[in-house]
Parts: sequence; C-alpha cells; structure tokens
Amino acid sequence: MIGTAVLQLRGRVRGRPVLYTSYAADQAILDTPAKRWWTAALVIVVLALPFLLSRDLTSLMMTVFIYAIGGIGLNLVTGYAGQVSLGHAFFMGLGAYTAAVLGGVETDQVLGFGLDMAIWLPMAGIVPALVGLAVAPLAARVRGLYLAILTLGLVFIGEHIFKEARQITGGAGVGRAPAEPVLFGMDLRATYHAFGYILPRDAMLYFVFFAIFMVLAVAARNLARSKLGRAFAAVRDRDIAAAVMGVPLQRTKTLAFTISSFYAGIAGALLVVVIGQMTPGNWNLFLSIEFLAVILIGGIATISGSIMGAAFVVLMPRLVAELAGSVPFISTAPGSGFLTVFHVQTMLFGALIVLFLVLEPRGLYGLWVRVRNYWKAWPFSY
Amino acid sequence: MEVLISSGLVRGFGIGSTYALLAVGFVIIYRATGVVNFAQPALMILGAYFTSMFISAAGMPFAVAVVAAMFVMAAIGMATERVALRPMVGRPPFAAAMVTVGVFITLYVVAHRLIGSRVRAIRDPWGLEQVDLLGVTVAQIDLAKIVISLAAIAVVGLFLARSRLGLAMRATSLDQEVALAQGVNVGRMFGLAWAISGALAALAGALLGTVAGGFEASLALVALKALPVIIIGGLDSIKGAVIAGLFVGVAEALTRTYQPRYADWLGANFDVAVPYVIMIVVLMVRPYGLFGTREVERV
Amino acid sequence: MRSTARRTAAVLGVVALLATACAVEDDGDGEAAEDGGTEEPGGDSDEIAFDVGVTEEPCPDAVNPDNGCIYLGVLSDLSEGPFAPVAVPITAGQEAFWARVNEAGGIGGFDVDIATYTRDTLYDPQQHSARYREIEPNILALAQTLGTPTTAAILADMDADNVIGAPASWWSGWAFDDSDQGLILESGYSYCIEAQVGLDWFAANVSEPATVLAVGYPGDYGGDSAAGVEQWAEANGAQFAGFIETAPNTIVGSQDAAVGAVMESGADAVVLAVGPAETGEIIGKTVVSGFGGQFLGSVPTWNPALLESAAAGAILSTYTNIAPWEGIDGTSAAHDAIRESLDGGVPENDGYIFGWVWSYPIKAALEAAAENGDLTREGLRSVVDGLEVDYEDALPPATFGADTNENAIRQAVINRPDEEGTLGLSTVEAEVTGETAEAYEYTSACS
Repeated sequence: MIGTAVLQLRGRVRGRPVLYTSYAADQAILDTPAKRWWTAALVIVVLALPFLLSRDLTSLMMTVFIYAIGGIGLNLVTGYAGQVSLGHAFFMGLGAYTAAVLGGVETDQVLGFGLDMAIWLPMAGIVPALVGLAVAPLAARVRGLYLAILTLGLVFIGEHIFKEARQITGGAGVGRAPAEPVLFGMDLRATYHAFGYILPRDAMLYFVFFAIFMVLAVAARNLARSKLGRAFAAVRDRDIAAAVMGVPLQRTKTLAFTISSFYAGIAGALLVVVIGQMTPGNWNLFLSIEFLAVILIGGIATISGSIMGAAFVVLMPRLVAELAGSVPFISTAPGSGFLTVFHVQTMLFGALIVLFLVLEPRGLYGLWVRVRNYWKAWPFSY
Repeated sequence: MEVLISSGLVRGFGIGSTYALLAVGFVIIYRATGVVNFAQPALMILGAYFTSMFISAAGMPFAVAVVAAMFVMAAIGMATERVALRPMVGRPPFAAAMVTVGVFITLYVVAHRLIGSRVRAIRDPWGLEQVDLLGVTVAQIDLAKIVISLAAIAVVGLFLARSRLGLAMRATSLDQEVALAQGVNVGRMFGLAWAISGALAALAGALLGTVAGGFEASLALVALKALPVIIIGGLDSIKGAVIAGLFVGVAEALTRTYQPRYADWLGANFDVAVPYVIMIVVLMVRPYGLFGTREVERV
Repeated sequence: MRSTARRTAAVLGVVALLATACAVEDDGDGEAAEDGGTEEPGGDSDEIAFDVGVTEEPCPDAVNPDNGCIYLGVLSDLSEGPFAPVAVPITAGQEAFWARVNEAGGIGGFDVDIATYTRDTLYDPQQHSARYREIEPNILALAQTLGTPTTAAILADMDADNVIGAPASWWSGWAFDDSDQGLILESGYSYCIEAQVGLDWFAANVSEPATVLAVGYPGDYGGDSAAGVEQWAEANGAQFAGFIETAPNTIVGSQDAAVGAVMESGADAVVLAVGPAETGEIIGKTVVSGFGGQFLGSVPTWNPALLESAAAGAILSTYTNIAPWEGIDGTSAAHDAIRESLDGGVPENDGYIFGWVWSYPIKAALEAAAENGDLTREGLRSVVDGLEVDYEDALPPATFGADTNENAIRQAVINRPDEEGTLGLSTVEAEVTGETAEAYEYTSACS
C-alpha cells in the first residue's frame, strides 16, 4: 500500500510514463519526462544564443519571438475560435503607437511621455484590446469571408487614421521613433557586464523579450486548454450547436477578438523596438498576410505551431539570402541574374503557403506530429 | 454643377465600371467554386502589362491588343485553377482562399519582374480628349470605360443566361453534386469560371492602365478596392457586384471632389478609405451584403 | 507541482534576479567592437591602420590584385519598392564610379568594393534595419542608404557603430548635426532650397507668380519642398495657396483629388514633388481642363517615358524641371567621366548620374582618412567635420560639418522637356541661384 502510494507521484506512476491518475497530470502541458527534458534543453539553448550568434542573428531571433507572439494572438482568434481576421496589422499598429506615445521621446513633431516599459508594454496590449472589444459586436454578426474582408477594411481605415494623426505617428513618409525599452529604470539597450563578463550588446533586450514571449505563450496554452478554449473550439466547429449547448456566442467571439488584439498590440510594440523607426505604411495588408502565413504554415489551432511558423517565416528569407551565393541564377545585385534574392524569397513564401495548405493542412505542427508518431512507434511504425 | 457631373458622376461611373468588372470576376469564381480569389489583382496587372506590351512591342491597335491580352489571361487563369485550386476541392473555403493569396504573392512578383522598374503606358485612342455631353464637358476615356465595361458584363450575363455552357455553370454554382449527376463536367466549369474571370480582370487592367501618366506594377493594389465592392453587393450576386461597383466608384469620385472643401477634418485622400466605410455601414445593416443570399446555417 | 519543481523554479528565479542585479551598466570604457561577427583583424598596411570592413586580401574580381579591399555597403530599393525605377540606375552609377576609382589605383593602396554588400530593402524600415545589421560587421561605411525614414531607422545604430553613409535623398535634415549625428554625407541642395531656387528662376525668367501652390507626398519629400515654397511666398509677397498632399497612384488610384485642388487654387506656379506617373497625370488632366499656370517639377518627377504618354503635349508646354546638377549632357569633368563609363550608351534615367555624384563625398572621406593613416571607423568618422569635397565640377566644392547656413549648396540646374534631348530633357540654364534661396536662413531642417 505504502509502496503504491510512493510510486504514485503527482498523478504519475513511476515506470509507466503514460499512465495518469490525476486530472492535473492528464491535462499538463509537459506531461511526459521526454517533453520536460527537451523543453528545458530548448530553453537553455535559446538563452545561450546571444553569446554564440552575431548581432544581426540575435535580432532575427528577437523578431521570431515577436512574430510568435503575434501569431499566437492570430491563432487564438482564427485558429481556435474560427473567426478569420485579416486585421491583425491594424491592432499591431495601435499597440505600437500606444507604446510610442507613452514610452517614446517627445520631439517637435510627435508626442511622447517617456514612461517606463513596465507601463507602456501592458498599455500597448490593453488599448488595442479595448478597440477589439469595440469592434467585436459588429464582427460577431458577420461570418466567414464577409468577416475576413470586414477586418481587411479595418486595416485600410486604420492606415488612413494613422496617416492623419500626425502628432502621434509622425505622418506618412517620415514616421517616428518607437518607445524606449527602459524596464524599471534599466536601459535594455546599453551594454552590461555581469559577474565580470561583458554581455553582447542586445543581450538584455533579448532576454526580456524571451521572458515576455514565454509568459504569453504559456498563458495562451493555458487559455486553450481551459473552459474558454473549449468554448472557442465549439464556436469554430458549429456555432449554432454551441449556442444550443449553452456557450454564449457573442461573449465568446468578443473575448476572442479582445485577447487576440491584446497579443497583437504587444507584438506590434515590441516589433518596432527592434526595427527602429515606424511609418503608418508599415501596418498594411502584407503584414496581416505574413501573420496568416505564420499560422497556416505553422499549424492552425496550436500554440507550438504558431511558434514554429514564426521561426519559419522569419528565418526562411535569411536562409534564401545565404543560399543565393551558391545558386547561380539568383543574384543580389540589381538587374543581373534571372531573379533577384527578394523575388525568390517572395515566390518561395507564396509557393510554401500553397504547398502547406494543399499537402499538409495541419502545417509544420502536423509534420512534427507525424515524425514524432513515427519514432514513437518505431520499429512498428506502419 | 458641371464639376459635379464631369468629375463626380461621369468619372465615378467610369472608375466604378472597372471596379464592377473586377467584382463580377470575383463573383463568378465565388459562385462556381465557393472561393474568393485574392489573386485577381495580380491577374489584372498582368493583363495591363500584356496589353501595353502588345501595343508597344507588337504594334497592335488598342482593341486587338486588349482582346489578345484577355485571351492570354484567360489561359493563365485556367492554368492557375488547374494547378493550385483543383487539389483544394472539398477543403474548407478559407484554406482555398489562402491558396489564392499564395498565388497572388507569386504572380505579383512575376508581374514586378516583367514590368520591371519602368513606368509603362497604354496608348489608348481616347487619351485626354474631352467631349461635350449635354452641355457638360466630360473626358472621353470615362465614357469609353463605362461603355466597354458594361458591354463586357452584359455579354457575360447573356452567356450565363442563354447558352448551354452558361446553364451548366449556373447549375454548378447551385449544387455541384447534382450538376455532376446531370452530366456536367464540374472541373471544366471551374476552369471556365477562372477563364472568364481572368479575361474580365485583363480588361479591367487594360482600362485602368490607361491612366494619363502610365502605370507601375504596384497598380495591382487598386484592384483590392473590388473586395469591399463584392461585400457590399453580396458575394454571390452579379447584379449586386455591378450596382455596388458603380456606387462605390461614384462615392469615391464625389469624395475626392468635395471632401477637401467641405470636410477637411477627415484628412487628405479620405477617398481611399471610403469604400471600406461604406462596407462597414452596409454590413451593420445587412450582414450578407445588399443582394447576397443568406447562408443557411445547419446545426 | 510539488516541492522539487517549486524548489527548482525558486532557485532559477533567484539566479535570474542576482544576475540582473549584478549586471552593471557598462559605460563603454575602451572596448573593441565585439559583436561576435566576422571581424577583420586589425593591421597595418604601409602604416595605414584599419580594422572593420577593410582587408589586405584583394577584392573579389579585383582591378588591382595587389591592393587590399575596402568594403562599403549599399542599402537600396532594388526590386519591388516605390523607388526601384530610379534606385537601380543609382546603384549602377555608383558601381561605375567606384570602378573608375579602382582603375585609377584605388585609395591608399586599397580597392573599393560595393557589390558584395549590396542589399535590397524595398524602402521598408524593417528590412533596412535588418539588412544593416546583417552587413554591418563587414563594412567600413555605407556607400548608399536610400530613403529618409529608412535611414532614420538605422541612424542610432550607425551612431553606435561609427558608420558614416551617403544618403540617396535630398531631405534638408541631413545638413544638420542634430538630425544626422554628423554621419550623413549628402550632396547637392535639399528639396527646400530646390523649391526656392526654382521659383526664383521662374520669377526672373518666365513671370512673377502671384499665387504659388505646392503638391506632393507628405513627409521628407513633398513636405520639405512645400516648406520651401511657403518660404518663397513669404519672402516675395506672393500668396501661398497651400500644400496639397497626395500619394502615389498605387494608394489613391488616381490623382483626381490633386487635380481638382490645383484647378481650384488658381495658382500661377505649381511646384510638384510627386512621382513621374503622378506628374504626368496631374499636368495632363489640369491642362486639358483649362488650367493656365505653369509647373515646376522636383528632381524625382521626371522620367523619359513621360514624353510617350498622353500628357506629352501638356508637359512640353508647361513643365520645367529643377535638378541639383546637370543631366547626361553636362559639361563638367565628372560628366565626361560618366559618359565614358557608359561607353556612349544612355542610362535608363538620371538615377545613374545621381549615384555617381553622390559617391564623391565618400571618396573624399576615404582619401582624407587614408592620408591620416587611419582607415578605421573612428578615423573615417573623425574626418567628416571640415571635410572638403571636390565634385569634379559637377557641383561647387562642398565643406561638411561647418556652419550649414554658410556652406549649404544653393544652386540648381533648370531643364525643360525636349524630345531631342537625351533622356528627354535639355538644360536651359546651369548653376542657377536665386535671391530668396541665397537669403534663406538655413538653420534647421525645413520639415
């Protein structure tokens, strides 16, 4: 008796990795030892990257985190809740400008209050969330492709508003600088030394971004496996049946938009910190399409899929640029060669969207699941 | 008053009729296959490019060049459908719409590569000349746009209503399985829908490309304005597409003419946002557009 | 989660806090660039010190295999962005310029290479910033950075990295240290001065306009130009009918709004700061509707294809082009060299000449630094203040860093469209200056 009690640690039985005896263990995100160890290893590798990579690769990794945050937000509303939204760029822009006004430097042309990151970052999420809250009732009435194009309209109207609100955005063509990343008084862009060792230049910024990303990703995962997450899935699959079962349709759709806008706002605010200058033209249809590509290539309705999709979308162009040296007909110089690097990158991007949708509808995550299942069942994987 | 008619109404109808052309193309594909074709702007700009090339390089007269470009784009439309969209039959329409986004990105790059970094011009027979219409001076090109677009749409409408192939297409849009059971080659109908749509897009491109200073590859983005048009008119209604197209064109033109004077607080170039504002207003009242059919929601 | 996991989490949290607390802000006392990227080992070659972006090995496809190599970066819009039509020839012009420098023996025993680190940024600040960080560990300076918002996006990084650059833009802000941190080596006038010189010439040679109007893209291009128009109107007692903001056709579909505004303004002289397609449309539609004024076009408004469009007639009769230096038919030594590099051919448009002329300040800076024996980043940056640049007569010699009001270039070239002229323009008058432009107090950016 005591022996079996000892063996049943926290709902798991030692020696029987997939036997769960408690609900919490069954629902856990990292439910097998393999998952736990590999996640820990991944986290350690990611934390070590700024020391190993050059500066531009480090800022590329920061962009991956940011795209992952935005992708998770879009996945929550489009993948989990089934509300197709092309308006992600608009909410990102809102977040970026809120952050810039609260955290940026004041000049003759634009407003800026120079507040701490601990203030502008949450506000960069909250303000777009409130706007998402305002937009949601209209969005809830409309379905399918009508909703997609309605949200597209938000992007265009938003662009117009951004261009006109010169005090906030600096106007078209010139733009403005983003918020200053000063967290609790610490300037994240300065060089630091810890324990006598000099840290690479953007290391602190990288670590803070990574921390924010981890918190938001875990929060989203927890949301997805909670009651609200199940309500999202019900609304996506058959919304009338969901309403019949007692899922409040209007409230669920509204929450989906609000939470997704929160994530989008934070992603937008952090993105411009990496870029360095933003113009109203940044927040356009192509940015929305990029995020749709992130979730489609990565995997609809999965958080890890959004992360994989973000890594893919951000790193693939860089890979193509590096390969351009070796492939003869792609050139970096203008006018020469059959296609330039950028043409190849864009065409590859479009072609990959098509390929993933046609061949593997569950995206990179689906591919990963296939590989994992193959190896789990090996040598009986037939 | 003169400004109202020449700059506002006639020009608005002119632009609106090109929007109507694009919108009808969208609607035909939607009705036949259930997918919104986001690649239409790319087809449009390629049509403009081919027209410009046929006129300047091959020396064809305007009308011949336009018809030739229409045939070329119809072929490209059919090929795209066969390659990219046929495998998506049976999948949710959102996925297929995203495939068209991927196709758009690819074709857009091709258009950029072809048009290059030069400004291209289409030498049309009307140019900047004006004509006197009931005492008001209007630009000839606007009248030409209206007449050509409406004629093309009328031809398509007649085809759908009277011919056997048109009947087969209508049957496919109503119910694919039943049409298949009646012996209609549904795959071929899909191809035909894309071909007609490609041809209409090419015509729209040729007309839009006649703008006085010439056009560049990024003109394709003007075609995105047809998206609010189809929403306002209803995704599956040709009549709605035409009416909404003309309406949006006129609204834009009137805004362009009068808004800087009377409502300056709305900002410069508010006419870019006007179609979307109208779309939002319409959707609040009728979530399926003015003439769209309400989706039957089954539990 | 029970005790083991909680303990682990607690320990990790404490370590993180400790690390943060011990992380002391570094004031940068004397550390070398340690970005972890490819670092060229410092060295001396004939007593010239160098470190980043300069190597003793020859350039790829070197003209002088015995020389070392100086790598310069180019961040331009080479495929799909709004300025690709002019940026591709600009980059080609720059390559021809540096090829000529290499054929003459290079600088200080080094050839100059700009092709290896040419990157396409599509006029997008995000791409610009990412590409800059990509090439920064390997270059000494930027031979070209296209666009004002894009350059502004990387300016803080350039400052931290001590990278100087030549902009492909004529924004007035580049002349002032508080906008450009002493890093940007611009050439020629700014749009602000251009508008004033143009209007001065117009008033002296065509007619005195009673009302002037500015039409352009908001921001560093049209906004700068409009500020100049407003200044001119104030100084000459003319009426400033306003700044009509418009946008490229890809955004607004057509220029009808601008056309309507021009017709209503009743202006005698309209200064245009838009793109070539938009210029053709505005001029064509206004003249056909009976507009009686004349048009002055900023540099980027011209494209030879305009003479083949429907608006050609209107353009020939009402359009005057203002340029910072002469076109392909120019008479200076620089222009002779340009024509030689083209072997009798004609470039696609004037961008080729822009790129060529824009490269002179960087060459002057490199030569000055080589003379000082210091081709490091700091050495190059330190020669900017007080640098004198010889443009081989394309422009009068310029001095950087000193009082902008004294040293700013205030001269232009006036061209008219001409079907016989190469690239569609023929020069009416060169080295034009104007009273208002000369008298203008140039103490800060115009926009």
